[in-house]
Formats: sequence, C-alpha cells, structure tokens
Amino acid sequence: MLYVELIAQGLVQGCIYAAIALGLTLVYGLLRILHVAHAALFTLGAYIGVLTTNATGSLALAFVAAMLVSGVAGVAVFRLGYQPILNRPPFVALIASIGLYIAAEEIFRIVFGASGLSFVAAPLQSQVPIFGGLQFKQAEIAVMLGTALIIAVLAYLQNRTRIGVACQATVSDPQMAESFGVSLQMVRDINFFVGSALAAFAGVWVGLLNNLVEPTMGSVPAYKALAIIVLGGLGSVQGTLLAALTLGIIESFGTIYLGKVLDRNAIAFAFLIAVLLVRPQGMFASK
Amino acid sequence: MLRIDNLTCGYGSFLAMSDLSLTLRPGTITGLLGANGAGKSSTLMCIAGHVAAKAGQVYFGERDVTGLTPTERVRQGIAISPEGRRLFKDLTVEDNLRVGGLIHPAAEFKRDRDRVIDLFPRLGERITSIAGNLSGGEQQMLAIGRALMARPQLMMIDELSLGLMPKVIDLCYRALLTLRDEGMTILLVEQNTDRVMGVADDICVLESGRRVWSGSAAAARNDPTLSAAFLGLH
Repeated sequence: MLYVELIAQGLVQGCIYAAIALGLTLVYGLLRILHVAHAALFTLGAYIGVLTTNATGSLALAFVAAMLVSGVAGVAVFRLGYQPILNRPPFVALIASIGLYIAAEEIFRIVFGASGLSFVAAPLQSQVPIFGGLQFKQAEIAVMLGTALIIAVLAYLQNRTRIGVACQATVSDPQMAESFGVSLQMVRDINFFVGSALAAFAGVWVGLLNNLVEPTMGSVPAYKALAIIVLGGLGSVQGTLLAALTLGIIESFGTIYLGKVLDRNAIAFAFLIAVLLVRPQGMFASK
Repeated sequence: MLRIDNLTCGYGSFLAMSDLSLTLRPGTITGLLGANGAGKSSTLMCIAGHVAAKAGQVYFGERDVTGLTPTERVRQGIAISPEGRRLFKDLTVEDNLRVGGLIHPAAEFKRDRDRVIDLFPRLGERITSIAGNLSGGEQQMLAIGRALMARPQLMMIDELSLGLMPKVIDLCYRALLTLRDEGMTILLVEQNTDRVMGVADDICVLESGRRVWSGSAAAARNDPTLSAAFLGLH
C-alpha cells in the first residue's frame, strides 16, 4: 500500500511538473529558447489565483483569471523580450530570460510583499478516502483530473484543428509553414499564451496545495522544468509528459528511501545527471 | 505568366544569381538547368519570396510581386516544392496536405486532397502515415501534392528526380505533364538533363549565377555547342 501511495503522490507532483514543463517545451520547440522566465508566469498565475479566490470565493474563476492574465503576460514577454533578439545567438535570449525572471521576482516582492500570501479559506482541502485506507486531499485528486483534462484538450486542439496542425508545421519548418500561409507571429503568440496559461494553471495548484504564494516560489520549478524538458528530449511534448510523471514518482520514492542523504530537489537533479550519463539525448528522444 | 527582369539575389554579400531575365509562358514547362552552384535553387527560393531580391523585379501576371512575402506569393498562385522536399516530417501525409491548403477554406480541403490523391494514388494508401517514414518517392509525391493543395498557377519544383528510382521518376513526370495539360505553368530545376529535355517546352541554362542560354527546348536540342557544353547531350 505504501508503494501505491508513493506512486499516487508522485503522480500528483508529476502532473504539476507536466503543466509547467509543457509550456517550456512548447516554447523551446518553436523558438529554441530556454525560457527561464516561464517560472515568473507560474508565480504570477499563483498570485492571481490566490487574490481572485480570496476576493470572490470562486476557485474556478481564479483559474480562468490566472490563466488569462499569465497567458497575456506570456505574449508580452515574447513580443517585448524575445522577439527583438530572435536573430541573435540562443544564449542572448537565455541571458535575457534569466534577467526577466530575476526582475519579476523583485516586482512580486515589491507589489505583494516578501512574506507571501495565503488563501483565506483554502478550498478543496478535505480528505477523500479512495480505497484500502488510502486518502487524498480533494485538491490532489483535482490536480490529476484537471491536468489530464487540460492535456486531452490540448492534444485535441493540436491534432484535430487547422491552427494546431499549423503550429506543429511551424515547429517542424517555420519557413515552409510560412510559405503555405501560416502566420508565424500568430503561432508564436498562441504558443506563448498557451504555455504561460499552463504555467499559471500549475501555479494556482501549487499555491493551493501549499496554501502559500511567495515571490520566490518559481525558483525551484524553473530549474526543475528545465531538467524535465532535457530528460524528455528537448522539444518533445510526449517526452516531457513522461519525464514529468517519472520525475514526480522518482522524487516521491526518493524522499522515503533517500531522504536522509538527499533532499527532494537534489534527488531530481541526481536523477537528471544519472539519465544524461546513459542517454545524453534524454530518456524518450530517439536520437 | 511570370516575368523576371534583371533579378539579382543572394545571401549576405554572396550573390547566388546576377541579372537574370526570364519569361515563363502560361501552360508550359520550363527547365532550369545548370551544374551545382549555378544558382538554380536560389532563383526558385527568390521567386517564392524566401530569398530577398537585391535588384530587379519579379512580375506574376501583371503584378510586381518582388516585395511580397512568401505567404502573399502563395496567395497570388506561386507554390514551391523545394530542394530536399522539406516536408513536415512529424506530421501525417494528410496533415502535410492540410498545411498546403491552409490558404483555402477548410470546407474545400477534402476536394483538393482527393484531387492530389487522384494524381498520386499512393498518397491515398499512405494518408495516415507519418511523412518522415515515407520512401523517397512517396516524399517527393507528397512535396508536390502539398504544393498543389495551394491551387497554384505557377508550380516550382526543385530536383524532382534526385535519389529516386526510374519508375517513380516516370510517375512524377507523368503527373507534371497532366498538370501542364490542365494549364499549370511549371518551372523545373533538375540535374537530370535528359529527363527535362523530354518534357520541357523551354530551357534556361545557368552557370555560376548567370544565365548563359535560354530558348525553346527544340532550339536547345539543335544547338550543338549548348548540347555538348551544358546539357551533356550528344
């Protein structure tokens, strides 16, 4: 039963990682930018989530507001931060991205205070019995169901709609996609909007599960999400999903069996190093 | 159909093509011939809008399209099957065709797709396959089919026969003749001179980024100097 519980806890964490890392991998796949500032949109989403819930009492409204605000902010980050330097070498965008993230952390500290915000009446906190004495918080179950739903919707949009196919074509060969009438600007805006909205989705859940939203909450997810997209094979959506879930489960087991020698975050990076020694291309990339 | 006046294009300070003038007649096949590095592919990419013209004009019909983007040119009726085919390799055959037809309403996709499949029935059999898993011949058919989805009046094809089996080359050339008979204008870049001379109405020969000969295919065949020096025909 312990194993089942560990796997389930790992899946909860893995779903949050997946939502953060998917946005990052969408951006990397399209523009080959390691978008560290993605974590700032995760934090922004968490703040909008807690503020909206506290103001209205509606968690659903909080998700909508957080995803919309972070989505629009993501498009602004692309247009103002990355677009002017797209023709420069990739490390220029990486440095800009790190700078944007540091600046965003300070803005959160100035605007919302250094000590963080909590939910006045955090929703979905009661325990639900599953089977064999196993219990989960409602929020943990909702994380898994919500992430599965959002990924299913994204997969549908990506594979079954013209705009989704256009986005995939742009990732594959932007010049050719453009020559068949795809607007690169529109595809890039959509990618940043969707990726940033996913980060906000994860941010609201993390804020709710920890009942705390603070300026530095994006630091660890920022680097862990980078580790996940490397593990999954850079730019691979399916690989990122599998890597996120695997990492969640590895961490879950690691905190029990390796907890005395490594903390949770160290386990993730030890796993990353171990995988890259064996498969430098990532766990799920073919080459 | 297409008129190029004194076109110069290239990359940075390198000039791939200088001072090219050429006219394509409607409903004909023009073969653009020359050795590696002669400037054939760059010329096609310049007409498609992917390589900027440094001087000169490109007219399509009566319209000067020199300053238009690739998207605007495909909307005008200029499509390209580029060097290396450049398919969307992770997408299915159907989705590659879907991208090719994005400038037209979604409701018309099925009709256009079926027209491509009529021309290349093999694509119908592989419609759900991933483009990157297709054979070289199937990929070439898909590259042409994808360009046809845009319903072009001018179709440019780069290195049609490169790396393909003779049977597949025959099939592709038969398709070109069908398209020409339907009224399409075709600009064909080829290293395989014999093949081009077999179907082309007009020929333009390039060398080191300059036009060295142009005229009808019949005149090219009857020009002994040209045949020996540039076309490898004896």
